[in-house]
Amino acid sequence: MKLWDWFLRRRREDDLQDEIRAHLSMAVQDRIASGEDPAHAHRASLKEFGNVTLTREAAKRSWGGAWRDRVAEFAQDVRFSVRVLLRSPGYALVVIAVLALGIGANVSVFSLFNALALKPIPGVERSASLGVLVSRTGAGRILPLSHPDFRDMQRELRSFEQIAGTSMEALTIGYGLRAERQFVEIVTGNYFQVLGVRASLGRTLGPSDDVAPGKHPVVVISDDLWRREFGSNPGAIGQAIKVNGFPLTIVGVSEPGFRGTIPGLALDVFVPVMMAPQIRGVDLLAVRKAPMLWGIGHLRSGIAAADGEAGALWTRLATLHDMREVDQRAAVIPMWSSPFGAQTYMLPALALMGLMGVLLLLVVCANVSNLVLARGVTRRGEIAARIALGASRGRILRLLVAESLVLALPGAALGVGVARALGVLLRNNNVTIAGGPRPFIDASPDVTVAAFALALSCGAALVFGLVPALRSSRVNLAGIMKDDLSPRGGSRGRLRDALVVAQVAVSLLLLVGTALVVRSLRAAETSDTGFDSRNVASVSFDVKPDGYDEERGRAFYQRLLDTVRADPDVESAALASQLPLTLVEGASHALDIDGVPARRGEDRRAPANAISPDYLRMLRIPVLAGRDFSRADTPDVRQVAIVNETMARRYWTTPAQALGRRIRLDNGQWRFVVGVVRDIKYARVTEDPHPYVYLPLDQAYRSDLTLHVRGRRAAGLLVRAQNLVHAVDADLPILTAQMLSDQMAVALSIFTMVASILMAFGVIAIILTALGTYGLVSYAVSHSTHEIGIRLAIGAGRGEVLRRFLTRGLRLGVVGTIVGVVAAGAAARALSSLLYGVSATDAVSFSSAVAVVIAVVLGASLVPAWRASRTDPIAALRHR
Amino acid sequence: MLILQTLQWGPQHGYAISQTIRAQSSEALKVETGSLYPALHRLERQRWVKADWRISETNQRAKYYRLTPTGKKQLLKERDRWDQLVAAIAGVLNPNPLKG
Repeated sequence: MKLWDWFLRRRREDDLQDEIRAHLSMAVQDRIASGEDPAHAHRASLKEFGNVTLTREAAKRSWGGAWRDRVAEFAQDVRFSVRVLLRSPGYALVVIAVLALGIGANVSVFSLFNALALKPIPGVERSASLGVLVSRTGAGRILPLSHPDFRDMQRELRSFEQIAGTSMEALTIGYGLRAERQFVEIVTGNYFQVLGVRASLGRTLGPSDDVAPGKHPVVVISDDLWRREFGSNPGAIGQAIKVNGFPLTIVGVSEPGFRGTIPGLALDVFVPVMMAPQIRGVDLLAVRKAPMLWGIGHLRSGIAAADGEAGALWTRLATLHDMREVDQRAAVIPMWSSPFGAQTYMLPALALMGLMGVLLLLVVCANVSNLVLARGVTRRGEIAARIALGASRGRILRLLVAESLVLALPGAALGVGVARALGVLLRNNNVTIAGGPRPFIDASPDVTVAAFALALSCGAALVFGLVPALRSSRVNLAGIMKDDLSPRGGSRGRLRDALVVAQVAVSLLLLVGTALVVRSLRAAETSDTGFDSRNVASVSFDVKPDGYDEERGRAFYQRLLDTVRADPDVESAALASQLPLTLVEGASHALDIDGVPARRGEDRRAPANAISPDYLRMLRIPVLAGRDFSRADTPDVRQVAIVNETMARRYWTTPAQALGRRIRLDNGQWRFVVGVVRDIKYARVTEDPHPYVYLPLDQAYRSDLTLHVRGRRAAGLLVRAQNLVHAVDADLPILTAQMLSDQMAVALSIFTMVASILMAFGVIAIILTALGTYGLVSYAVSHSTHEIGIRLAIGAGRGEVLRRFLTRGLRLGVVGTIVGVVAAGAAARALSSLLYGVSATDAVSFSSAVAVVIAVVLGASLVPAWRASRTDPIAALRHR
Repeated sequence: MLILQTLQWGPQHGYAISQTIRAQSSEALKVETGSLYPALHRLERQRWVKADWRISETNQRAKYYRLTPTGKKQLLKERDRWDQLVAAIAGVLNPNPLKG
């Protein structure tokens, strides 16, 4: 098509040429016929015809296709810009590099956002628009639905196209002799159909796997697990894996790229919900009180309409089944705010980083604008010549904008590269959580990210290119023709000043944010977690899949503790069902308190930890009232529990008052409170205090436990602890083994990540600000050489000159700082959810940021100011 | 309009058009080639004239422009408007003596 157009145009041009030639030759013939001599006739006809080229151009214009001219003109501008920029590669490289930094920082944040919010579930189409069906308690807590409730909703809810149920649980997966702890998705039969995920081998689960409890011993595994564990062997189909010791037959491998429906985590094993009783060892499928499944599916209507329908349907069903204890109702929420997955804790941090990214881009634009402005001055001659030759202002603008785009596009390309580098930085901070799921965020740049980079760079080009272009195109012809190069009028100077002030202000904002987050990190690192994590190794295992029943398990635990304590390097050892600071909150249990009935709508729950007698002493958690568990707390005697201080104060006002009271978990046996201990940080460093219950392991048997060993020194302790476990049972698979202090680092990983990104942003911003200030002052110096010469000649001291230019830079720095402090004061309040241990108006953060900014501005102005003071007055005056 | 008028009596090529306008206006109007050709091409785009290559009376290949039916209509319309304009201007310049 394009070729044809070009061909047509070419033919028309030839046509026109012929036409004009015919015209001329006829005119000449006429003149010869009327008696003129040929040479004269030729000249006269040409003269009469006028300007041949102009005629041709005019005729061509009448052919129309204005857009084609525009495109051609634009292409010409681009070619010209490339040539001009190649002639000043230094300028071009600086601009491209600065742009790449700004765009790269933003692209890296955006690609995370893209991965978490725009396509949260890899391998599933339109995953961002999935709706999640949950139940919300009166207290605002979000819980899964029970299996019977879910089935009722699934049958009657019209606003979903189809709805599948899913839940995630950490289970032990055994492959032959080897076993590992993994998060498994327990799903309804229609799960794969609802998500539109196919099997690359065998079959997926189907409605036929959803019929009778316990009758579908099948499992679908991920492509990744199939490669990892079965070496891509098609013979894996039909083999069995043991899920919590229960054998399930592999019937299919899901499509590559699909990793389950928990954003940010990679799941590999998908089990039909009908097998949940066999796997969990307790049948809750018919219990309306047991929260079990999240609903997930594509919506027919909007979220609000679906939420309304779910709520109404729930009210109707609730009258039929009067089984619920607490006030709750069904609700539909969008995927990005669903309570499971990485987006819950990543999105607030991302929003912050996105904001910082935008600010950084502003600094970049201001900086590049300044460079473009400075260049605009040196190009005034060229632009004046263009205007004198008849170029319109619009034409000049188009040229300058084309030039900005030529700079912006390589900037964008390079920016994506920078984003990749930053992505590596991000991934390094994605530390694996012990005994937890594999973090899996596919933040690799895709089409959306590339489009974002392109749009961003074009937008930036318009911003940084247009403002200076508007200025450059409004030139005073006469002034320039007179070769007057001194900056005329204060307005140009004022714009550049404003840009520097903006840069200083924004960098200050970024630095304050960085300082606050870094100080939060320090505070969190040194914060009192309530226990002593030094020199403690943790080794997790599950004895049930290894063939231990409860009786043999108890014997094994005793033997294990005796063996470990006998080791000379070991100070103390204990067993517990929960590991502290795993980021993931352990299962919480319904809590009943004798004599303190729950208020209506109160959702009374608490997590619990089954521990061996030495646990509290080993982690150095002080007992505030009553006693620690002892070996005497056997199954046959009075059932007991220890509660934390928060729980004691909340329900019985003082720790001492709590002793002897009765509590009950999950409608089990009543237990007497025998002790109150100090709070520790249970799941996260930043969590709020909440009730917590300890149970004696002997009275609350568990097969999956973590051995905690405190050594006399950290070196070699982890290996030692594992060897000790294997000394007692050589075949017991170890699920995870980790030092508790490493666990701390993981718990802080989000702070670390945000802090390192902000630090990078802050450093980039301050470098750019230094460049901007330096550029401004040295520009002012170079354009006042003459003036400096005169001043020096009539007796001004060098110190005076130095001070003059130093004040100029410093004045802008101070104005920018004041603006920045005010802005930061307002912005820091938005940060407070991410802060820990420092207030949003932390004086140390503010003053150190101000100090850094002022120092940088001072340094950046000092160099050119000093150069100004070294000016040789004779040379300066002779210059003109 | 002048170009359309000259084409009224049959197809012509560019040179002839310029000569005709010149001759008929008794040399008063001289159409610049710089405006003639763009004008011709514009008329062609608007489909008021049609062009093809023919051999001229002087045995030369030349591009001949011919009035199309729509062109003819356009000419009539413009003539009408022109006549009205002339009449109006004449009216202003020579107020009716009977009334004066």
